[in-house]
Amino acid sequence: MSALERSDESPQVDALAAPVGPAEKEAPSPFVLDVHDFSVDYGVGTQMVTAVRDVNFSLQRSKVLGVAGESGSGKSTLVYAITRLLRAPGVIRSGSAILRVALPDGHGVEEFDLVQADERTLRRVRWSHVSVVLQSALNALNPVLRIRREFDEVLKTHRASMTKTQRRERSVELLRMVGLSEDRLDRFPHELSGGQRQRVMIALALALDPDLVIMDEPTTALDVVTQREIINELNDLRSRFGFAMIFITHDLSLLVELADDIVVMYAGAIVERASALELYDAPRHPYTLGLLNSFPPLHGARQELTGIPGSPPDLAQLPAGCSFSTRCPFVMERCRRESPTLISLDDDHRQVACWLHEPGASATVPVELSQRRRAATSDSDLATAESK
Amino acid sequence: MSDVATSPALLSARSLSRDFTTRAAGRFWNAKRVTHAVEDVSLDLYQGRVTAIVGESGSGKSVLARMLARIVTPTSGQLVFDGTTIEPHHKRGLDYAAQVQLVLQDPFASINPIHPIRHCLERPLLIHGATKDDVAALAGAALTRVALDPPERFLDRYPHELSGGQLQRVSIARALCVRPKVLLADEPISMLDVSVRLGILNLLKGLCVSEQLAILYITHDIASARYLADEVIVMYAGQIVERSFGTSLVDEPAHPYTQLLVASVPDPEALDEARVVGQHEKLEVATVGCRFAPRCPHAMEVCRTTSPPNVELAPGHVSRCWLHTREAHASLRVNARRVDEGGDI
Repeated sequence: MSALERSDESPQVDALAAPVGPAEKEAPSPFVLDVHDFSVDYGVGTQMVTAVRDVNFSLQRSKVLGVAGESGSGKSTLVYAITRLLRAPGVIRSGSAILRVALPDGHGVEEFDLVQADERTLRRVRWSHVSVVLQSALNALNPVLRIRREFDEVLKTHRASMTKTQRRERSVELLRMVGLSEDRLDRFPHELSGGQRQRVMIALALALDPDLVIMDEPTTALDVVTQREIINELNDLRSRFGFAMIFITHDLSLLVELADDIVVMYAGAIVERASALELYDAPRHPYTLGLLNSFPPLHGARQELTGIPGSPPDLAQLPAGCSFSTRCPFVMERCRRESPTLISLDDDHRQVACWLHEPGASATVPVELSQRRRAATSDSDLATAESK
Repeated sequence: MSDVATSPALLSARSLSRDFTTRAAGRFWNAKRVTHAVEDVSLDLYQGRVTAIVGESGSGKSVLARMLARIVTPTSGQLVFDGTTIEPHHKRGLDYAAQVQLVLQDPFASINPIHPIRHCLERPLLIHGATKDDVAALAGAALTRVALDPPERFLDRYPHELSGGQLQRVSIARALCVRPKVLLADEPISMLDVSVRLGILNLLKGLCVSEQLAILYITHDIASARYLADEVIVMYAGQIVERSFGTSLVDEPAHPYTQLLVASVPDPEALDEARVVGQHEKLEVATVGCRFAPRCPHAMEVCRTTSPPNVELAPGHVSRCWLHTREAHASLRVNARRVDEGGDI
């Protein structure tokens, strides 16, 4: 689908600079993004704060990676750094972010190391291959331009061969895709509701049929009904166009519904990575468990929930050892001294950074960390099942 | 209302309405347009109980809270506080402010950044007549009540040195330090980090029980309302569309808007269930008939012409919808079971 749509623009792509990374692999790799040992600092010298620490993940074509975490966990910094949108004093200290996209002719792939890429390459990659939807659509759309102009400018810049009529047709097509009528093109942003503006942002992000769309809390400012519509639409669009998605939010229950894989970040590091349902059914990291228990449920008997004690960490004064140790209910002596690294668990492909799961650890894993859902809700589940 | 009739309501709203008049754009120079922010809302707050108001942005829930705090003057309707009827034109005295306190949404914005926490707690105390010798102790005591312990650690710090959750606790302490009877909390957790939200909710619940506060909890998060509140009220476009006690409103939503709201909440437990699909696109709110009719999947002819009645489906469970009336029985397609229960009343 994407190759077909892009074929008419291939002469323009060829005219641009050659890719930085090694190109033309034999078989197209399933990975669209591979992030390796990625670290980001704010500031340098004594004032430096590390916002993202040694992050590794890869994202497969057409999959959704959910990034969950609270404010200050580094989730936004991570994706801004990957897309090279990070501004000073943010500095990428180390790491690589390899973007792998299929060539327009459908044979082979092209690789870009986004960390090393120069402005010219970035210009080629951005929007065409990677696009971003920001949280506040009102701030992202120019208030004095009609919606039509926003689409026009993207298409003019990246698809110079398109005529005015073609651009207009493409804009209408994009708006229809996100469920907006044609007449919205002539509106100003303030004339649209919050949900409509966010839809325009999504349509803009998909304008050049990207391989990867990054969503930074796109529904946080919207009410739940609008959020539900947009999530449904995103699922629909993704199955039609097959783009991969990184979805950032603090709402873990939303991610469980939407994402294939979820990474949970705390104080700049990934503390757990698992498939969405595994993470929900049986979180391995105490922080994930706490986050999941922080959302009051819609079903079952009302019972006291505790959430997570303490406050989110100050990145400038992280505790020694595990950064979650000061808030962790299962804290051990070792957690206060040594910082755990992300290890793969034996039984499946998931990863967790917690001493409780260290092979040969003396401590037994608390029952909540092996089967949260069954432990907490089995009774109420049965009750609701019977009543139905 | 069975379980609440033991004590009279502490603060009641009687048919409160508030209109805002704006200039109509693109019309004649003197054309006016009236927005009905809150229309004919009645509710009761009781000692030791949490009442939650759930609604999306623009549903009028914040204007309602400000009317209850008497910061916004109602266009019509009365307040009844502790047996005294208050008309809109009555002047608000200091004593009312001491009894009914408001906690705002954003603690980063509602606490003066250039003064230490001590100042922010002592100022209301001085205004409300505490002597200079007492204020330090009272301010410390207020912090202890919101579990910022020991208070000395926080009193001389500045707002930027505290986290969002701690600041919201300060803002609750500020409201509590004048010993109010009613606490109006306007989205107290929506600006906070997920992991500290429950702490604030549990704090409110604890204060409600231990100090016999009447709490109005305003939110857009229906799950947190279910968790916290003794009575849940759903507002849409300035009107109350459904209200019920305990968890029954979320467990058995009767009004189509509440059903849409509940079905829209991310719920990993219900991944396989079919989602409600209706006319979701936020359209112009109807000015005649039911406000929700343009979006309602069950809208009938009568909904577009006449305002729906309040129907009591179960004791205390009231829904404002034509679907619950006998006349509508014939045209029911969805939710027949619930309406049958209600139709007998």
